[in-house]
Amino acid sequence: MPSKALPSFSKALFSGILLDELLFPYPKMDKEEAENLKLVQETFKKFADDKIDSQKIDEEAHIPDEVMNGLKELGFMGLSVPEKYGGFGLSNTGYVKMLEFIGGTDPSVAIMLGGHQSIGYKALILYGTDEQKKKYLPKLASGEMVASYCLTEPGAGSDAAGIQSKAVRDEKRGVYILNGNKQWITNAGIADFLTVFAKEPITDKDGKVKEKISAFIVTRDMKGVSVGKEENKLGLKGSSTASLFFEDVEVPFENVIGEPGKGFKVAMNVLNAGRLGLSGGSLGALKHVMRPALAHIKERRQFGKTLSEFEMIKEKVAQMTIDLFATESMIYLTSGLMDRGDVDYSLEAAMCKVRATEVAWNGINECLQMVGGLGFMKEYPYQRLMRDGRVNMIFEGTNEILRMFITLAGIRDEGEYLKKIGEALKGPIKGFGVLTDYATQWLKDRVMTEHIRDVHPSLANAKVQFETWAKNTHFSAERFIMHHGKNVIYREMRQERLANAAIDLFGMISTISRVDSLIAEKGEEKCKHEIMIANVFADQAWRRVRRNLLMMDSNADRQMGELSDFMVKQGFYPFATESMEILL
Amino acid sequence: MNIAVCVKQVPDTETKVKLTEDKKAVDESEINFILNPYDEFAVEEALQLKEKYDGEVTVISLGPDRISSAIRSALAMGADKAIHLQVDENPQDPNVVANALAAELKNGGYDLILLGKQAIDDDHTQVPSILGEKLGLPSVTVVIKLNIDGDKVVAEREIDGAHEIVECTLPAIISTQRGLNEPRYASLKGIMRAKKIQIEQKPAQLSDDQLNIIGFEYPPQKNPGKIVGDSADAVPELLRLLHEEAKVI
Repeated sequence: MPSKALPSFSKALFSGILLDELLFPYPKMDKEEAENLKLVQETFKKFADDKIDSQKIDEEAHIPDEVMNGLKELGFMGLSVPEKYGGFGLSNTGYVKMLEFIGGTDPSVAIMLGGHQSIGYKALILYGTDEQKKKYLPKLASGEMVASYCLTEPGAGSDAAGIQSKAVRDEKRGVYILNGNKQWITNAGIADFLTVFAKEPITDKDGKVKEKISAFIVTRDMKGVSVGKEENKLGLKGSSTASLFFEDVEVPFENVIGEPGKGFKVAMNVLNAGRLGLSGGSLGALKHVMRPALAHIKERRQFGKTLSEFEMIKEKVAQMTIDLFATESMIYLTSGLMDRGDVDYSLEAAMCKVRATEVAWNGINECLQMVGGLGFMKEYPYQRLMRDGRVNMIFEGTNEILRMFITLAGIRDEGEYLKKIGEALKGPIKGFGVLTDYATQWLKDRVMTEHIRDVHPSLANAKVQFETWAKNTHFSAERFIMHHGKNVIYREMRQERLANAAIDLFGMISTISRVDSLIAEKGEEKCKHEIMIANVFADQAWRRVRRNLLMMDSNADRQMGELSDFMVKQGFYPFATESMEILL
Repeated sequence: MNIAVCVKQVPDTETKVKLTEDKKAVDESEINFILNPYDEFAVEEALQLKEKYDGEVTVISLGPDRISSAIRSALAMGADKAIHLQVDENPQDPNVVANALAAELKNGGYDLILLGKQAIDDDHTQVPSILGEKLGLPSVTVVIKLNIDGDKVVAEREIDGAHEIVECTLPAIISTQRGLNEPRYASLKGIMRAKKIQIEQKPAQLSDDQLNIIGFEYPPQKNPGKIVGDSADAVPELLRLLHEEAKVI
C-alpha cells in the first residue's frame, strides 16, 4: 500500500515532472497468469451461458440460489484471496480483468462479487493480522461467508469522516460495545462478514481524548446486528442493498483491523484499491452492449442504406471505441502500477473510476440511441445496462468528490514545493491528507522534465501534444495555487477543470505507452487501428485540455455560483414566458 | 480403471474464419482456441468412471505449443496426467493423427480410450475409427449412453433416425456425442491444481501425410433477400422473379 514517499505519476505531473519510467513499457501479465485467467474466464463464460439469466435477475431483483451456490463452488468468491488462504490469488490486473469480464456478463453479479472482494474483505487482506486472515479468509474465499464494506451512514456519505457509529472499549470484558446505523450497504442482506467503520475515543500523546475511526470485523451472528429491508433500486437489482443496524454489539478487541484510530486510512485505501474493479466492470458492460448494437446498425436499413453507412452513426461507433481503448489503457496501466507495489496509484485509480464510469454511461447511452426505439424496450438489454451503470458515478466516491481529490491531492506537493500556502492545503477535505503523503524531497532531487522517452514515429505527434499540455497543465496548476492561495479548496469549478485535464493527459500517455509497446511486439502494420486510435484520442484530448486550461482564467464561475444561489433561494424555476402562467 | 482421453484444441465456436493470403491455410493469428466441445464429454465421462471405479485419467493431445491451454482445461476439469505429443503444425491428415496417437496409446495399458466424436474445426470424424483399426480394439462411435460393468461395455450410439446398442469388451475405444453427460465446469481450485501438474512433452511420431490440401475457399457470398410485397398483389411479380431470375419454377 502507498505509505510514504512513493512516486506518483500524476502528482509529479502537476509539479512539472514527467515520471515516464513508471509508465513505459506498458505492463503485461506474465504468461502463466494469462493462461490461468483465460481458463477462469472460460469457466465463467460457460457457467454464465448456462445459468445466468440477466433479464430474470433484473425482473426478480434477486440472484437465484443456484447461481450464488455455483459461483461459490467454482471459487469466484476468492479471486483475490492469496493461495495460502484458500483463494485463487489473482494479481490486481488479473482481478480487474475478471471483474470486467463479469461486468460484461451481468452487472448485478459483478457488484455482488466486487462488493464482497474489491471492498468487503479488502481491509482484512491489506491490514489484517495473520491470525485474522487464517480465521476468515478461507471461509470468505469459499463463499461460506459473504463480505460487506460498511462505511456509509445516513449522515455521512461523501464526508465519510463524519460517521456517527460508536465503539466504546469495555476493558473488563475485552470487547467493544458497538452502536450505529449503516446505509446502502452492498451485500447487506447476504453478508456474514462485515467490515464496519466506527469512531472510538482515543487518548492522544498529549493526553486529550479524540474520536477516531477504527475498522472492525463484525459477524452477522453477533447479538445486536440486524438488517433492514432490501432497497428498491433503479438498477443492479439483483445485488443486495440494505441498511445495517448495530445495537450494543459486543465486538472482541482482536477484531480490530489495523491500528485502533487508523480506520479512516484503512477505509480510504480499501476504496483506492477497489476503484479499479468498478472501472473494469463499467467497461465490461459497455463492451457487452456494443455487440448487439453493432449487429443492429449493420442490418437495419433506412433510406436504402444500413445505419452503419450514416456518418453520425459512424461518429458514435468510432468515439465509443476510442474512449473505450483509452480508458482501458488507463485501467490496465494503473493495475500494473498496483502490482508493482512501489508506486502511489491513488490518483490514477480515481481517474480510472471517473473516466470509466462516464465513458461507459455515455457509450451505453449511444448504443441505446443507435438502435432507436428498440433501445427503449424492456426486452433488450440497453435500458437495463444503463440503469445498472448509473450508480457507478455515485458510489465508491462520487465523480465530483473524486475530481476534487485528483486536483487537491495532485497539487498539494506543488503547493508545498512552492511554499506559498503551506499547511492550508493539507486537509482540504477531511481525510484526503492520508492519501497524499508523496514526499516532497523526492521531487527536490529532480529538475523539471519536459520530455518523455522516444516513442515509435507513428506516435510522435501524440507524444509532443502530451508533453506540451502536460507542461501547460503544470503552469496552470501553479497559477491556480498562486492566485487563489488557500482558497483553492473552494474553487471547485477550477478543480474540476484541472482534474479533467489531468485525466485526459493520463489517458493520452496510457494510450501512447500501450500502443508503443504493442508496435514493438507486433510491428507497425499490425497495429494500424491502434495507432489511429492513439492519435485521434491525443488530438481530441489536447483540445479538451486546452479548453479546460483556458477556462481556468477566463470563465463565468462567479455568475454560475450566484445564479445557483438565487435558484436555491427561490426553490423553483421562476422565469415565465406568459404573465398568467402557473409555474411548475 | 486406467483411462486415456484424446483431446484436440480447436478454434472457438464463435470464430470468424480468416484465410492466410495464399489461401493455403486458416489464419490463426486472431483465433481464440478452446478445448474441442465434444472432447469435454469424453473428459467428463472419464472423470465419472474414475469416481465410480477408481483409477487414473490421462489426457493426450497432439499439436503445436499453443495446445497447452486446452490440455490445462482438461486437467482443470479433473484429469490426473497429461501427455503433449508435439508437432510444429497440426497434420491435415487424420490418418497421421491416428498413427501418432496409436503409437502413444499402445504401450499405455489403458482399459478405455475416450475421444470426442469429431473435432469441430476440420470435422473429419475419422480418428476414433482409424484408431480402433490401428490398435486392434473395438471402437464404438457417436455414443450417447455408456455402461461399463467389469470388462463388459454396453454403448448406445446415434445412427440415422435410430439408436443402436453395441456390446463389446474392454479395452475399447469410445467416441462421445452430446447428450452422454453434462460436462462439469473447471473450478478455480481445479485450475490451480492443473497449474501444478507437469505436462509430459514428447515429439509425435509422424507418418507421411497422404492428404494434400490444395487450397481453401470462402463460401460464395449470398445475395441479400428481396421482399416483393406483402399482399396478394405481389404474387404475379413473385412468380415472375422465381421463374425468370431465380429460375426455380
